[in-house]
Formats: sequence, structure tokens, C-alpha cells
Amino acid sequence: MTSIQQQVHTWLEEGRVDIFLAYRMVEGHPLPHAFTRERIDETDTLVTGPARYSLEKFATHIASRYPDAKIGMVARDCNQRALNVLQVWNQLKPGQVDTVPVNCCPSLLKPHADCSYLEPKPAGHVKLERGQDPNQSLAQADTLPRAERFDRWMYEFSKCIKCYGCRNICPVCFCKDCSLEHPDLIGTGHLPPDIPIFHLVRAVHMAGRCIDCGLCEDACPAEIPLRLLYRKVNAIVKDLFGYETGSGDTLPPFSILGDKPTMSPQPLLAVSQE
Amino acid sequence: MDLKFVPSICSYCGTGCGVLFEVLDGELVGTLPMKTHPVNHGKLCIKGWNLHEHVNSPLRLKHPLVKTFGRFTKVDWDKAIGVATDRLKAVIAAHGPDSVGILVSAKMTNEENYLAQKFARAVIGTNNVDHCARL
Amino acid sequence: MTLKRMTFLQHLLDFMGLAGRLHLEWISSAEAQRFVATVTGFTETIRRLGPSPLRSAALRRYDNISAAPVPCSGPASLQPPAMPDSGIQIANG
Ligand code: SF4
Ligand code: SF4
Ligand code: SF4
Ligand code: SF4
Repeated sequence: MTSIQQQVHTWLEEGRVDIFLAYRMVEGHPLPHAFTRERIDETDTLVTGPARYSLEKFATHIASRYPDAKIGMVARDCNQRALNVLQVWNQLKPGQVDTVPVNCCPSLLKPHADCSYLEPKPAGHVKLERGQDPNQSLAQADTLPRAERFDRWMYEFSKCIKCYGCRNICPVCFCKDCSLEHPDLIGTGHLPPDIPIFHLVRAVHMAGRCIDCGLCEDACPAEIPLRLLYRKVNAIVKDLFGYETGSGDTLPPFSILGDKPTMSPQPLLAVSQE
Repeated sequence: MDLKFVPSICSYCGTGCGVLFEVLDGELVGTLPMKTHPVNHGKLCIKGWNLHEHVNSPLRLKHPLVKTFGRFTKVDWDKAIGVATDRLKAVIAAHGPDSVGILVSAKMTNEENYLAQKFARAVIGTNNVDHCARL
Repeated sequence: MTLKRMTFLQHLLDFMGLAGRLHLEWISSAEAQRFVATVTGFTETIRRLGPSPLRSAALRRYDNISAAPVPCSGPASLQPPAMPDSGIQIANG
């Protein structure tokens, strides 16, 4: 028994948690699994990776049905950030989820998780020529001339098949009525969906919320560099409001009014002919 | 409190993406893409993402229904098959086998689809066979 | 709140390449002069910016993408493999 298996066994036995979310291998696939006291022997098969699912999202599903359940889970850094955000947004009660921290990357030679940071995919030729390279830095994405930047983003967005995968997989997207499905906000019945509105609406909602886990970009069948877009969103939130998303338990800047406006509106842009 | 994750295959089209069903207290509450599945690598289309909704849909057919005088009535399988046989026989006798077409589905297994086309070709005697995934 | 959201949106749109098309100004009903100046100024800005690129995007014409590939920023292991010359010309449009 590894020390983590031992720890989970003890936690379940002592009643520290009622249910523990981790992974186990099923037919060669690492799949999420809920360990419970009734089936405590299963803890022998507990593994912590290498695949990465949004365990905290399952925790919110349990918590919405059993508000008093004590939930445990293995948590990488991104899981922990997501849990912080979910608590801030009242999806989980403080202290309801107990975590066993696990490492994303135990060795430099063998990346443990399938996180897009640890095993980034190189962008192909067409993407480099026409789209936005998901591996570039934010500063780099800002260097292109505006018109080209716009066209490259629109090229990326135009590939969207409106599968809602980015929203469905996202640990911090939990709204009952999602704006993306509102026919007055996003037109229905055509592909690609209304671009760039579809992607910008989601980007705006991710301000002060997205914890940069990269699951959306992993789940996007059109390979749209969503993580890059949302990283920019939260870079803006940090620059303007000094709010670090996922870091603690304070409310994000858009959900509180604040005492006094400390900013002033931007002046009219003096545009040179670019 | 019983949470299970059941790996499966999306039944909506011939691609065969790997999905993971989230089952809470015996109720199917969500569908996820299987991250390590060789077919879809953690991605799904909108149909795959909503598999749990068609399982839970109140509109889902659960019994054989026979339409009599414009209304559907619940019958048992023997009755339903009997009605289908009689009507097929009558139509074939009146208009020939090519007046019948068979539609098969991606929601059935390979073997069932094979059986259906065999039924169309060998029993009824028509080549009118089609499939929803023949895009 | 409006101020926060608008400023945020201005930055986001700029990142996407749409700058200067969104403006926020507080004008009281007594400040007719300021109203005129703001509206005139904004109209001027929009006129100088020209028609919205969203229009050409609606026709799926992305004319401003330079043909030269952007260098990939990641480590050398991330560079895409050299493309074999298939002899096929891909029209850029
Ligand atoms: S990176 Fe994507 S999936 Fe993760 S929190 Fe942000 S928007 Fe959601
Ligand atoms: S996209 Fe926006 S409205 Fe939809 S679930 Fe996410 S945060 Fe909520
Ligand atoms: S996951 Fe990608 S293709 Fe699917 S809706 Fe989101 S952006 Fe569009
Ligand atoms: S998820 Fe979509 S593409 Fe994949 S098998 Fe289902 S219907 Fe086909």
C-alpha cells in the first residue's frame, strides 16, 4: 500500500470523509473513482493519475444532493485553485472538501499528468500561419498588429462546432441557465456560432473565475487556444484590480461594488492609421 | 451516497468516442469524454456531451406501440411484431418488395445492423437500406 | 461596476485586435458642451477606424494574416516537424 492509499483508508475508516474522489485503473484507463467506507478495500487500487478529470466538479454534484457530505479528493494545484473558487462562489461549503495534495509532475523525465503545460502539443503549420499558437506567451500574442491579431482570433473562433465542451468540462462553470444557451444572446441554428460573441461571452464570465487548469482547451475538438484567451482575461483582472483568481477566499472584483471608484474611464483612443 | 463512473462508447455516430457516465445514486447525471480513449482523446461533439439527456428523456420509447385509428397504443412484442409482419406482407404483395425501405441506426450494434440489411435483402428482397450515419 | 466592466472589456477587445470602438464617459445633463465634444470625438474615432472588421469576418475573409509563420515560442522540442514537400499548393485564401 502506498502512503496515499493508506491515508485514504484511514480517513474513510475514521469517518474524516464520507466519500473520497481519486482515480483507479480500469482496463488500462485511469478513470475517476469514488471510494467509500462500504467498499473500503478498493483503496488498494487507488492511483493519483496520470489523467486529469475535474474531481471538484463531481464534488459539487455530491454537495448539491448531500449538503452535509464530507468529501475528500486528491488535489493537484489546479484542483486546489478550483476548490478555492467554488467556495468563494458558494458551490461548496468551507471545509467541506478535504484534500490530499498530489504532485502534478514527480519527475522532469516523466510528466505525470496530461496537463497541457506539462506535455504541450506543438502547433501545426496551418495554425502557425493562420491562427494563434497556444504555446505562445501573452506578451507575444500582443505583439502582432491589431488587424492581424483580430483575423487570427477570428480564424480560430470560426472553427468552433458549438459543442459546449469548454463550458461542460470547466470546473468553475456551474450556472443553471447558461448565457451561451440563451437564444437572444447567441443566435441558434448555424455554425460556427455567432463569433466572436460566443467566445467573448464565455471569456468575460471567466474573469475572476478561471483558474487556468486548461481542461477547456484539452476538451475543445476545434483546438481553439481557449486557455490563452482566458489567461489574458485574468491577466487583465490582475493588472486592473489586483485580484489573483483562485488564490484565496476573497470575492472577485466584478461581484463586489467596492467603496469608491479608484479608476477613471479610459480616454478616447487617438488612433493612428495602422 | 453512491457515485460511480462507467466507461462506455457514444452511440450517436460511427466515430465511437469513449465516454464516461457519471452515475449518482443510480441516476445518470452526466457524460464526460474519456481522456485516455484512443478515438477522441478527451473530446466530444455536442451529441456525445448530452448522452445522459436522451437516456433520461421522458419522450424515450420504452414499449412497442401500434398506431390504430391515428393513436398509439401500448402492446406487447408478439402483437407488435405480428402487426408489422401482416402489414409488410400486404404492402409487398400489393406493390412489390421495392416499396419497402429499411432504416438502420448507429445506436445498434454492428451485428444488429448486419441482421437488418440481411433481413431487407434476403427476406424482403429489396436493396433499400439506409443508415443515419451515412453522411 | 460599469466602469470596472467597461475597462476590462476595452482591454479584452484590444487583445483581440478591436481597439477604440468602445467608450465610456459620464456626462451630466448640465454638460451639453461635453456631450457634444464626446459624441463628435467618438464619431471621428470610429470614422478613422473605418468599417468594423467584423463585417469582413462575417464573410470569412481574413486578409490581414501575414503569410510568414509566427515563430513558435516554446522550447525546441515544441517546434513542428518539417512538412514534407507534397508538391501541392495550398491557396492562401
Ligand atoms: S482553464 Fe478553462 S476549464 Fe479551466 S477554469 Fe479556466 S475556463 Fe474553466
Ligand atoms: S459560460 Fe457563463 S453562464 Fe455559462 S456556465 Fe459558464 S459562467 Fe455560467
Ligand atoms: S469546446 Fe471548442 S468547439 Fe466546443 S464550444 Fe467550446 S470553443 Fe467551441
Ligand atoms: S461524441 Fe459525437 S463524434 Fe463522438 S461518437 Fe458521439 S456523436 Fe460521434
